[in-house]
Amino acid sequence: MKKLILLLICSIAATMRGQERIILLNEGNWQADNGKITYFEDGEVVSNQWFRDVNKRKLGDTPNDIIQINDSLIAITVNWSNIIQFISPDGKRVAETEDVPNNRKLATDGRYVYVSSYGHECGTIHGFDTFTRGYVAKIDIQTFEVVATCEVGYEPEGIAYYKGYLFVANTGGYSFQEDHDYETTVSIINAETMQLEKNIDTGQINLYGKLSQSGRYLCINSPGDYYDVPAATVIFDCDKALDGGDDCFVVLEYASTYSCTMLDGNFLAIGARFSYYTNEYQFNYVVIDPREVMLTEGGGGVNESLPGTMLDDLKAIGMPYGVYVNPYTGYIYATDAGSFAAAGALMQWSPEGVFLGRHKVYINPAHFLALPPHGADFTGIEQTADRGKPAKADGRFDLQGRPAGMTPARGIYIHSGKKIYKH
Amino acid sequence: MLAAALTGAALAVSAASGGMAPGDGTGLLAAGADSVRLLQEVTVAARRSVRTMATSQTLQGEELRALSSTSVADALKYFAGVQIKDYGGLGGLKTINVRSLGAQHVGVYVDGIRITNAQNGTVDLGKFSLSAMESVSLFNANKLDVCQSASEFASGATVYLHTRRPAGDSLAVQVRRASFTTFMAKVNAQFERGGWSGFVDGEWTDSRGDYPFRYRSEHEDTVGRRTNSDIRYGRVEGALFRGGFSSHIYYYDSERGCPGGIVRRLSDKYVNVGREWDRDFFVQASYQAQFAERHQVKLNAKYTNEYLRYCTDYPENHNTARVNNHYHQQDGYGALCYAFAPWSWLSLSASYDVRYSKLSADLKKFDDVLRLDQKQVVAAKASWQGLQAAASLLHQHYHDATFAHVGAADPLDRWTPALSLAYTQGGLTLRAWYKKIFRAPTLNDLYYTQVGNRNLKPEYTKQLNLGAEYHFDSPRWNVSAQADVYQNKIENRIVCLPLKGTYTWSMMNYGYTFCRGVNATAQGRYQTDDWFFSLLTSLTWQRDLNRTDPDDADTYDKSICYSPTLSSGITSVIGWRNLQLSTSYLYVGERMWSYADPDDVLKPYHNIDMKLTYSRLMNKTNWSVCLEVCDLLDKQYEHIPRYPMPGRNYKLTLSLGI
Repeated sequence: MKKLILLLICSIAATMRGQERIILLNEGNWQADNGKITYFEDGEVVSNQWFRDVNKRKLGDTPNDIIQINDSLIAITVNWSNIIQFISPDGKRVAETEDVPNNRKLATDGRYVYVSSYGHECGTIHGFDTFTRGYVAKIDIQTFEVVATCEVGYEPEGIAYYKGYLFVANTGGYSFQEDHDYETTVSIINAETMQLEKNIDTGQINLYGKLSQSGRYLCINSPGDYYDVPAATVIFDCDKALDGGDDCFVVLEYASTYSCTMLDGNFLAIGARFSYYTNEYQFNYVVIDPREVMLTEGGGGVNESLPGTMLDDLKAIGMPYGVYVNPYTGYIYATDAGSFAAAGALMQWSPEGVFLGRHKVYINPAHFLALPPHGADFTGIEQTADRGKPAKADGRFDLQGRPAGMTPARGIYIHSGKKIYKH
Repeated sequence: MLAAALTGAALAVSAASGGMAPGDGTGLLAAGADSVRLLQEVTVAARRSVRTMATSQTLQGEELRALSSTSVADALKYFAGVQIKDYGGLGGLKTINVRSLGAQHVGVYVDGIRITNAQNGTVDLGKFSLSAMESVSLFNANKLDVCQSASEFASGATVYLHTRRPAGDSLAVQVRRASFTTFMAKVNAQFERGGWSGFVDGEWTDSRGDYPFRYRSEHEDTVGRRTNSDIRYGRVEGALFRGGFSSHIYYYDSERGCPGGIVRRLSDKYVNVGREWDRDFFVQASYQAQFAERHQVKLNAKYTNEYLRYCTDYPENHNTARVNNHYHQQDGYGALCYAFAPWSWLSLSASYDVRYSKLSADLKKFDDVLRLDQKQVVAAKASWQGLQAAASLLHQHYHDATFAHVGAADPLDRWTPALSLAYTQGGLTLRAWYKKIFRAPTLNDLYYTQVGNRNLKPEYTKQLNLGAEYHFDSPRWNVSAQADVYQNKIENRIVCLPLKGTYTWSMMNYGYTFCRGVNATAQGRYQTDDWFFSLLTSLTWQRDLNRTDPDDADTYDKSICYSPTLSSGITSVIGWRNLQLSTSYLYVGERMWSYADPDDVLKPYHNIDMKLTYSRLMNKTNWSVCLEVCDLLDKQYEHIPRYPMPGRNYKLTLSLGI
């Protein structure tokens, strides 16, 4: 009997295990090759170098975005390494490619991964495509090869998939170095054909940073130029844009440097409006209801109160560097980059905004992904239309991370995370 | 005293080098016993008379040439209290930091006139060769000469490069072949006629710099070669002297690749393509005269013109921003110094310096910036029966003007003092000094597009030092030792940090550092007719603590990043007739490069350089051949994470002089 009870308790414990499972990308320092992954589970940091622990190798320089593609596959853009790293949810390397240099942000339909890139070339199954401006690459997760590309504006950043279309926010962020201006457009691409449908001019420059999606709505940050043009937020209605409506976006006078989607479909945004003329900040911490914003054309829908103690907690931290709501559980997270030479921190709140703890992570913690809770009967993944075959981690890959099929007769290939040279 | 020192140095040079050595450490030296004896008699006299009240270290003559050094930076790293930052290879930026004050607090002076960079405030020491130099000295705080310009009082630590005054006609040619496809050729011509003397020194170097490296740890085994780390430069400089008049003209022209940090890549497809061009020119003149026995006057003038271009705008650059920026700096400088000795035990001096800088760059949202920098100093120095004291009060005034939209910073107006005391008894000197000084925000700090912050405050340093120095000299032996304990405080550090709630970075005043440490050096020489031995050692122990944020347990009271607790250097020179073997050993302890993870450390390293020179006089021509092995143990180490230093490498140099 006792044994049975013990067994029961154990099995409950097992199913309860891992309700809160967060993968957090620490960007590290530029050119220091110290991008690291934090794995956080149920109120504890399991590892601040998860990728290194699991794979016995480094992730690379400045990871920039992370997305779950299907039950078994996660993609990470490692920007300054020019690598897109594919891992399984337990952190194992699956494949990697450098076909998309200067990669930025990710979107997926469950079958393909779409990557925005500031670069001007892309290795595809047809050879190298080159571009004057930036582009979006479509990667087949069965082969990890780029099957199609689409040129968009200069330095495309945030990207979202909605109803068979890709919405890409263009920044023109190199305009201080290069001979072009800031971009003001959102490019709409047919994801299947990878043809540019149209560009929507938002009138706001430099659509930079992470873009949040809540169904048909997007929350796009425009930091302005830090001189004459102040920061703003563009709330974008994808359905209206596809229908051809000119009124498909509303501009709010708030900054959304860091934003995320909450369980109720609202956006949580933290940002600062800054000008080099005055060297002064104007902070905002807001919850944005995109339906209300669109309905009232910006007259309403912005709430300056946050759940629980979040507002005070956020104001107290040194350097906000990311914000996230777990889409499965509603728990809220933010990161503090601190003094930038020291470890940053991960902060956690309950869905009601009760502060739960502060955890030491690594330098510049920025990008989140929640994994579905263990034992849950849902995966939380909505777009599973044509799920790709899970790739095997023990396969053979070429140096670009592509599955090599049969063991090659000679040359270099990668097997079980090791580089093998065969004469 | 000053005059004696100057003449002494000049004599020493001519004697030691036989009037023909470019003397950059490549061993043109004729190791004749006579010349050596003369050299040290004079230098010892010079050293003892002037320099005991100030904390200083000097490398000159035989010891300077004995080092395996291609630039001034290589010589300075053997000094106590010096930390070097080096991005690796011949082309990598090399700066020094003294007692953790920061590179911008180190002033570098050629014959008493500062090398300035109004744009970023640091001097790339890799651009300055030792060939034209007689000595390299480091003074913590002030040099304490009698007639100094106000600029010489205006930095936390000062490096003096002392140009060699020729005493005779000579011509020397040198060619070198070194590892990583490096070629060098150098010519030095000197003359002396009717009271005038001068030299022309030219060098051309071409290096592919593709040295191998290896990173090996639990999480990687990365083997590779540096790419895009080539450099090609030409340097021509000349000087003209007559009595109290000295002048110097310098031109440096280089093109180099900027290789960047070693990061994870899947292949060599995407390498850094950035390239940099530098053209630096300066001409300077100084005149110093003594009149009516007790009066001394000095006039300094300098014009500097610097051009820098950085470019990544190449068709093959498919992955990063295509930048093509040009920066242009001009700088005019003048100083008038006057010293008066009312009694033999007291000298008073005053100086007025004015500098006018202009920076242009084709950055967006940027326009020309002009800076007028005026300094005045009053100083007094007294000595009475072994007791010496010096005090100075410096006034600095900075005024900027710019057409850039952000507008100019408010003028800066500050007074700062320095005080030194010393007591000498026999060969032993005890000393104490205090110096407060600031560095003004540079033009980059204030106005650089999307980074600059024109509200910056100056960064202050306060240094307190107690030290002792001992000398013993006999015909065959010279021994000296010194030790200083110090305490530095640095306030309002100017750093670049990301702005709260934006993705941009900006210059800010952030940080307070508290340092305590010990610098010690000991050196000895012994010589007979055939043999010559010299040993120089230095030791630095320091605790540099970050006292910025008491609430931050991860950083507060932790060592400053990049600062080792312990470092030491040993240089030995053994000469026997025509042969000379020198060995330099450098140890740098472990240092953190971030506070984020205990693994974020730069490992300690031992570096050994060896140099063997054989020289011979044939038909009035001096031939010499020199083989150098740098990093004998082939240690893989780095000063900046992911910027590996070259491992073991070789240099073979042939020289001939007439």
